[in-house]
Amino acid sequence: MPNAILDPTGTATSAVKPAAPRAPRAKSLQGKRVGLLINTKQNARPFLEEVGRLLEEKYDVILTQRTKVNFAVPEPEDVIKELVAGNDVVITGVGDCGSCSAAAAADGVVLEAAGLPVAAIITDSFIPTADAMAALRGAPGYKYATTAHPVAVLTEDKVKERAAQVLDDVVALLTEPAKDEA
Amino acid sequence: MTAANTEGAADVAAAAPDPDEAQRAIEYCYEQGWSDGLPLVPVSKPLLEAFLATTDKDADEIIGSLEQVGRDVNVYLAAINAAMAGCKPEYFPVVLAAFEALLRDRAARGGGFQSTSGPSPLIVVNGPVRKELGFNTAGGAFGPGFRPNATIPRAIGLLVRNGFGIHPHVLEQATQGLPGRWQVCIAENEEESPWEPLAENGGVAGGVSAVSATLTRTMEFVDNRHTPNHEDVLRDLADTISRIGSQIFPLSSVALVLCPEHAQMFASAGMSKQDVQNWLLERCGRTGAELSSMGKAEVNRKSFRGEYEGDETFHKFLAGPTSIPVIVAGAKNAAISMVVRIFGEWSGTSVPIAEKK
Repeated sequence: MPNAILDPTGTATSAVKPAAPRAPRAKSLQGKRVGLLINTKQNARPFLEEVGRLLEEKYDVILTQRTKVNFAVPEPEDVIKELVAGNDVVITGVGDCGSCSAAAAADGVVLEAAGLPVAAIITDSFIPTADAMAALRGAPGYKYATTAHPVAVLTEDKVKERAAQVLDDVVALLTEPAKDEA
Repeated sequence: MTAANTEGAADVAAAAPDPDEAQRAIEYCYEQGWSDGLPLVPVSKPLLEAFLATTDKDADEIIGSLEQVGRDVNVYLAAINAAMAGCKPEYFPVVLAAFEALLRDRAARGGGFQSTSGPSPLIVVNGPVRKELGFNTAGGAFGPGFRPNATIPRAIGLLVRNGFGIHPHVLEQATQGLPGRWQVCIAENEEESPWEPLAENGGVAGGVSAVSATLTRTMEFVDNRHTPNHEDVLRDLADTISRIGSQIFPLSSVALVLCPEHAQMFASAGMSKQDVQNWLLERCGRTGAELSSMGKAEVNRKSFRGEYEGDETFHKFLAGPTSIPVIVAGAKNAAISMVVRIFGEWSGTSVPIAEKK
C-alpha cells in the first residue's frame, strides 16, 4: 500500500460562521436611521455622502457617519455593536481594492447577521473577491451594489453622477426581500 | 557496448525512482490546485515526519492567523507546504522563523496578501545557519541557484495560498504583482559587511541565527562604480529612493541592500549604518509642487497638509531607522546596490531560529 499524498490546504476556523442569515429588510426607508460606513478610500466619502444626501431628500432619512478603523479588514466587534445600536440600515464602501472590497462584503455579512440590512458598494473589478469573502463568511451569493471601476480618479461631478446611478440598487438592497424570502 | 557497461546501466535503473510514478504524483498535486505554477514535491507521511522532527513545536500549534479570511495555519500545514516547496527537513526551523517574522509586519496581517499591490516578502537570514544549511551568502544574492534561498520563500508563498486560502484572481487581487514574488531570501554577507548584521538591528544579538522579513513592492538597482566620493553614491541612492511613482502614503520605507563595495566605502568614510540611514532620512523626499505636477496632489495635501499647487516645501519621505533597514549582500565584484521598496513598514524585529532541544 503506497503512502498517500498529503493535503496542504487549511480549513476554516471558528471565525467563519456557518450560514450567516440575511437581515429582514426595511419596509421603507422613510425616516430611517441610515449609517454611512466610509472606508477612507479616495472618493469614498463624497460618494457615500451623496448617496446619503439623495436618501435624505427622498425619504427624510436620518444620517449617521463613521469611518472604518482599517479599510483592509472587517470592523471589530465593538464597532459592529455600535453600528447596530445606532442605525436601522447601513451603507458601506467604496470597495475598490483587493482587501477593502473583501472587507466591505465581510462587514455587510456580519451586520446582516446582527439584524441590519446593508448595502455594500464595490467597484465591478472586485466582484470575484467580494463573492469569495461573502462565501467564506457563510453567505454565498450575498448581494451588494456595484459601480464601474475606477472611482478614485473621478471628479466631484462624476462622483455625484455615480452616486445617483447606484441609488436605486442601494434602495432595493435595503428594502426588497430576496426572491426565496418573498 | 561491453557487458560490464550494460550491467552498470541496469543497476542505475534499478536504484533510481520510477519517473512515471513521480510524474503522476506531480500532476496529481497540480490537479488539486495546490501549486504556484511550478512542480511541487508530493509529500508523504514519512517526509512530513522528518520535517516535524526538526522542531519542538506541536504539529497542531497555531503559528499564524488571518482573521479576515477565517484561517489559521499550524505547524502541520507549514511542514507540508515547506516540503512541497522543495525545502529539506532541516530548513523547516528557518521557514517557521520566517513566517513568524513576516506576520509581525502589520501590512501582512492587514490584508497585504490580498492587495492589488501584490507584495512579496523580503526574507533576510543571519548567523551561523547560513553556512550550516548552505545558503548563498555571496554573488547573485537575489537568486537563483541555491536551494535554501529558493525554497524557503516559496514555502511561505505556498502557505499563504494553501494555508490561508488566498488564491490569485479570488482573494488575491494583484494588479500586476512583481517579479520574484515568493522568491527572495537573502543570506546577509556578514563576512564582508563592515557593520552589525540586520538581526542585531532587529534585537537578536550575539551571532544567533535569526530571520527578518517584510513585505515589498519591487526593487531597483543603483549602479555606481566610478566615483571615489561616498557622498556621490549616497546622493545617487537618495535620488532613486525619492522617486514619486511609489509615493502613495505620507511616508514610505525602503530596504537598502548594499553590495559589500558600497558598504565598505561608507564605512571607510567613517559612517556607521545609522549614519547612512540618518544621511538619507534628511535628504530623501520631494517638494509638494513636484508631487502635484505628477498627479500626487492628494498625497501632498493629505500627507503633508500641502497646497495643490505652488507648494515648494520639501517633504521627507522616510520616517526613521526602521523605515530604512540596511542589509549587506552580494559579491564584492562591482558597486551595484539595490533599493527595495517596502510595502508598509518593517516591524523592526527579528526572530531567532529555534534549535531543537
